[in-house]
Amino acid sequence: MSVDTRHTAPTVSPAFRTRLATARRRKRWGNPLAGLGSLVWLVLVVVPLYTLISSSLMHQDEALNGDPLAFPTNPTLDNYKTVLDSGFSTMLGNTVIVAASTVAIVLVLAVPVAYVAVRTRSRLSSLAFRTFLLGVAIPAQAVIVPLYLLIGKMGLYDSLPAIILPTAAFAMPVAVLILSGTMRDVSEEMYEAMALDGATPLRMLWQLAVPMSKGGISTVAIYTALQAWNGFLFPLILTQSEENRVLTLGLFNFQTQFGVNIPAVLAAIVLSVVPIFAVYLVARKALINGLMGVGGK
Amino acid sequence: MRSGIFTQGTRAARWTAAGAAMVMAGLLTGCGSGSGSGSDGGTITAYVYGDDAVKVQQAAVTEFNKTSKVKVKLVSVPGTDYVNKLRSSMGSPSAPDIFFNWGGGSIKPYVDAKQLVDLTSTVNGDAELKDGFLPSIMTAGGLDGKIYGVPMRGMQPVMLFYNKKLFTENKLEAPKTWEDLQKAITTFKAQGITPFALGGSDKWPELMWMEYLLDRIGGPEVFKKIQNGDSSGWGDPAVLKAAQTVKDLVDQGAFGKNFNSVDYGNGGAPTLLNKGKAAMHLMGSWEYSTQLGKAPEFAKKDLGWTAFPTVAGGVGDAADVVGNPTNYWSINARTKHKDAAIAFLKTMASQKYAKALVDNGDIPTTSNAASMLSTSPNPQFANDQYSLVQKAPSFTLSWDQALESQYATPLLTELSKLFAGKSSPEQFVAAMKAVK
Amino acid sequence: MRGGRKTAVGNVGRPPVSWALPGILFFAVFAIVPLAIAVYLSFCKWDGLNSPTSAGLDNWTRLFKDPEVRQAAWLSLLLTTISWAFQTPVALLLGVWAAGRQRSRAVLSAVFFVPLLLSTTAIAMLFHALLDPNFGVIKEIGPWFGIDPNVMGSSTGALLTVAFVGGWQFMPFHTLIYQGGTRQIPQVLYQAAEMDGAGMFRQFFHITLPQLRNTITTSSVLMIVGSLTYFDTVLIMTKGGPGTDTTVLPYLMYRTGFQTYDLGYAAAIATALVVVATALSLVLVRFSGFGNMRSTREGM
Repeated sequence: MSVDTRHTAPTVSPAFRTRLATARRRKRWGNPLAGLGSLVWLVLVVVPLYTLISSSLMHQDEALNGDPLAFPTNPTLDNYKTVLDSGFSTMLGNTVIVAASTVAIVLVLAVPVAYVAVRTRSRLSSLAFRTFLLGVAIPAQAVIVPLYLLIGKMGLYDSLPAIILPTAAFAMPVAVLILSGTMRDVSEEMYEAMALDGATPLRMLWQLAVPMSKGGISTVAIYTALQAWNGFLFPLILTQSEENRVLTLGLFNFQTQFGVNIPAVLAAIVLSVVPIFAVYLVARKALINGLMGVGGK
Repeated sequence: MRSGIFTQGTRAARWTAAGAAMVMAGLLTGCGSGSGSGSDGGTITAYVYGDDAVKVQQAAVTEFNKTSKVKVKLVSVPGTDYVNKLRSSMGSPSAPDIFFNWGGGSIKPYVDAKQLVDLTSTVNGDAELKDGFLPSIMTAGGLDGKIYGVPMRGMQPVMLFYNKKLFTENKLEAPKTWEDLQKAITTFKAQGITPFALGGSDKWPELMWMEYLLDRIGGPEVFKKIQNGDSSGWGDPAVLKAAQTVKDLVDQGAFGKNFNSVDYGNGGAPTLLNKGKAAMHLMGSWEYSTQLGKAPEFAKKDLGWTAFPTVAGGVGDAADVVGNPTNYWSINARTKHKDAAIAFLKTMASQKYAKALVDNGDIPTTSNAASMLSTSPNPQFANDQYSLVQKAPSFTLSWDQALESQYATPLLTELSKLFAGKSSPEQFVAAMKAVK
Repeated sequence: MRGGRKTAVGNVGRPPVSWALPGILFFAVFAIVPLAIAVYLSFCKWDGLNSPTSAGLDNWTRLFKDPEVRQAAWLSLLLTTISWAFQTPVALLLGVWAAGRQRSRAVLSAVFFVPLLLSTTAIAMLFHALLDPNFGVIKEIGPWFGIDPNVMGSSTGALLTVAFVGGWQFMPFHTLIYQGGTRQIPQVLYQAAEMDGAGMFRQFFHITLPQLRNTITTSSVLMIVGSLTYFDTVLIMTKGGPGTDTTVLPYLMYRTGFQTYDLGYAAAIATALVVVATALSLVLVRFSGFGNMRSTREGM
C-alpha cells in the first residue's frame, strides 16, 4: 500500500524545497520521547525472546539452577528432539490446514459481501453491513457454549472443520469492514467506464474490484491467518484427539506433558514460531503492509 | 445510516429466524447420521488420563487387541483437562466407549444421566473380577451400592514427603505430631528454608491440606456427610477449625511467601523440595516417580516419606489416609460392543497387568499385590505405601473427585481464596454452605 | 448513504444482493445463531449431559446478585482500561516514530514485530516461565527494579502482568495500525505547519493526533474487544488466581461452563459479556464520530 506517496506536495518551488529539507533533517530523529520509548520497548521485547531461546538450549538442571540470563554453558538440542518426537509435525500440519482453510473461506465469502455492500444501495445490503459491523464486538467466548452444542449436533465435534468454520465466521466482520473500506476507494467512474463497455457485475468484481483491492485482500488474509494461528478457545473446547490437535493446544498440553521439563516447553514454543517466522522473513513487507491496512483510512 | 436501526429491526429478526430455522432443520436431519460413538468397524475407544502410566495401559491394549476381534483404541487425554474433556465428549456423539475415572462423584453425573453400564451383576457373577481386587477398593469405585467401574491403576495415597538431608542437618525427625510439625516449621524458617513446598497456583495441592486437616480434626465422617449431598456438613465446627489451621499455617509462613504463584504442574513445587529450598511437600504418592524422573539422585538418596501427623485435640485416627484409592474403567451405556468392553476390563485383574503396574512403580489394588511388591523399582517405598493403605481405617477419596464438579470447582476456588488470604475461615465456611 | 450521488449509469452493472447471501448465512450460522442460542440457554438449566430444562429468570437474577460476577465484571473493565491506557500511548508513539523512513527505524520495527508471530498461548507460557518466583528471570531482574519476584502471587501484580503480556503481544499490531495511519497523513499539512513555524509537539498534537482519529478508534475498538475477551492468557498464567483476583468475565464463564458444567448460567454470563462489549464499542464509535467520518469520506 504505497498510498503515502499520493499525498506528497505536487508542485513546490525549489526554495521551498530546501527549507523543507532542513526541517526534515531536524526531524530525522523524530520525537525524542518516541525514540526513547522505542528503545525501552526494544529491551522489553528482546529480553524475553533471548531467555526463550537460551533456556531452550539448556539442560533441564541448568535451566532451574543457573542464572536464567546467562548463555547455556553446555548448549544442547535434546529439548528440540524431545518436542519433535512428541507429534509436533502433526500439530503443525493441522495448524497450517486450519489457517489456510480459514483464509480461503473468509476470502471467498467476504469479498462478495463487501462488494455488494459497496456497490448496492438496498436496505438489505446496508443491514447486512451493519450486522457485520456489530459482529466485530461479539466475543468468541460468548458463543462457545452453543457452538459446542451445534458442532456436536452436526457431527463435527473433534474434527478440523470444528475449528475452521467458527474461526472463519468470527474473522468475517473485520474482513468485511477492511474489504469494503478498500473497495470504496475504487472510483465510481471506473465502474461506469466498465459498465459502458457492457461488463457484467461479475467481470467488474473480477477485473476491477478485486485487483484494485489487492492491499485489502492481503490484509484480510494475513489478519485471518493470524487469528487462526492464534486460536485457542475453539480447539480447546471443540477438539479432543491427538490427530486433530493444533499447535496452540499442543503447546498448552506440553506444559502438562513435559511438566517438569521447562526447557522442552520453551523449545516447543520456539519450534511453533519457526514456520511463521520463515514466512515473515520471506514476506516481511507484505505482512507489515497488510497489517498496517487493518486501520483502514 | 443510523436512521434505519429501528425500522429494520423486524427484518433483522426475520433474517435471524430464517437462519435459525435452517440450522435447526439441519440439526434434526443431521442427528441420525452423526452417531459414530467411535465404534464403527469394530473398534472401541478408551479415554485414559494422560501421564507416565499410560504406557502400562497401552501395553494391555496391545495385548488385548492380539486376540480380540473388536479392537481397543486408547486415547490419552492430557491430565489437566481430562475431566473437562471427558465431560465435553460424553455430551457429544463422539463419546468414548470406556473411560478412566476416579469413581464416586466423578461418575455421578454420568450415572444420573444413565450413561454408564451397571457392572454389579457382571462383577458378582465373575470370580476373577470379584475376588481379584481388594473389596474395599472395588466398592469405593461404586455409587449407591452398585458397581460401575473396574480398578485399573495403582493406589495413590497422599503422603508427607520430606528432604532427609535437611532433616538430618537440622537434627529433626519426620514429624509425627503437630508439635513436631511446629518445631520443624520454626527451625526451617529460621534457616531461610520454606517449611512446605506448595503448588498453590494449581489449587488442588492446597486441597490435600484441607483434606488431611479435616480428617485429623473431625474424623472422616464429616466429609462423608458432605459427600452424601448434605452441604450443611460444611457447618461442622471441625471444618472451621481446619480452615483456621490453614490460615494459621499460611500466616506463620509455613508455605513461604510465593506459594500462590508456584505450580505443581510445571515442576515448581517438586523442584523446591529436591533443591533443598523447601523441606517438606504434602503430595500424592506419584511424587516419588516425579522426583525419580526429575532428580533421580535425590529421589534415591534423600527423599523421605511419612504419614500426615496428628493434630492436637483432633478426634480423627492418625492412620486414616486421603487420596485416590485407585482409578477405574467405566463403560459407556451407548457402546455397541459391550461384551468386548467387559472382556477388556477383565484383563485388568490379570497377574500380568498387576505385574506391569508394579514394574512401573505403582501399587496395584489386586488382592495378590503384596506378594509382588519386591520387584518394584523401590520395594521400600512400595511396601510402606501398601501398608499405609492396608492399615488405614478410612481412605477418603480426594474431595475434588468425590464431589460433583458443580461443588468441586467452587470448592477449589474458595480454598484458593482462603490460602491467598482473600477470605477468612468463616467466609470459607459460609461460601461452601451456600454452594448449590 | 452515498451522499445522494446519482450517476449516469444508475443501477446498471450493480451486483445482485444475493451475492452476499452465502457470507451472511455463514456468519449467521456460526455466530448469530449461536448467539441466539446463548440467549435462549441463559433461561435454561443445562449440565451438558441431559437435555436443557427451563429455568425462567433464575440465571439472570443470580447474575445480578452474584458477587463473583460483580468482581469479574469489575476486573474485566479494569483490565480493559489498563490495557487500553497502556497500549494506546505506546503504540501511538511507536507507530508515529516508526512511520519515518529511516533505516534504523525499519530495523527496530522488524524486531518489534516478532512478538506478533508467537501465539497467545506461547507468549503466556513463556511469561509464565519467566515469572516463576523461584526459577524465573524475574528472580534475578525483579530486585534491580524493586519488583517482588512473587509478582504473579499478588493480586495487583497478577492483573498488571496479564495486561502487560497482552500488550507485549499486540503492541506491534497496534503500532503497525498507527504507522499505517500516520503514513497516510498528507505531508502538505506538516509542510504548511512548518512554514508557520510550528514545533514538533505542536505538529503532533495539532496534526498527527486529529488526523489519526479514525485510526485511534479502530485500534481502540479492537483493543477493547480484545481485552474484554482475554482468556488464554488468564487460563495459562493465573488460572483466575490468586484467589479469584484475575477471574475476568470470560474466565468466569469458562469455569462456570466447562468446569462446573452449569452451562445455562455460563450462557447468561456470556450474553452479558456481548452486551457490554457491543455497548462499549458503540459508545466509542459514536463519541469519536467514526460513523460520520466514514460517510463524509465516502463523498470525497
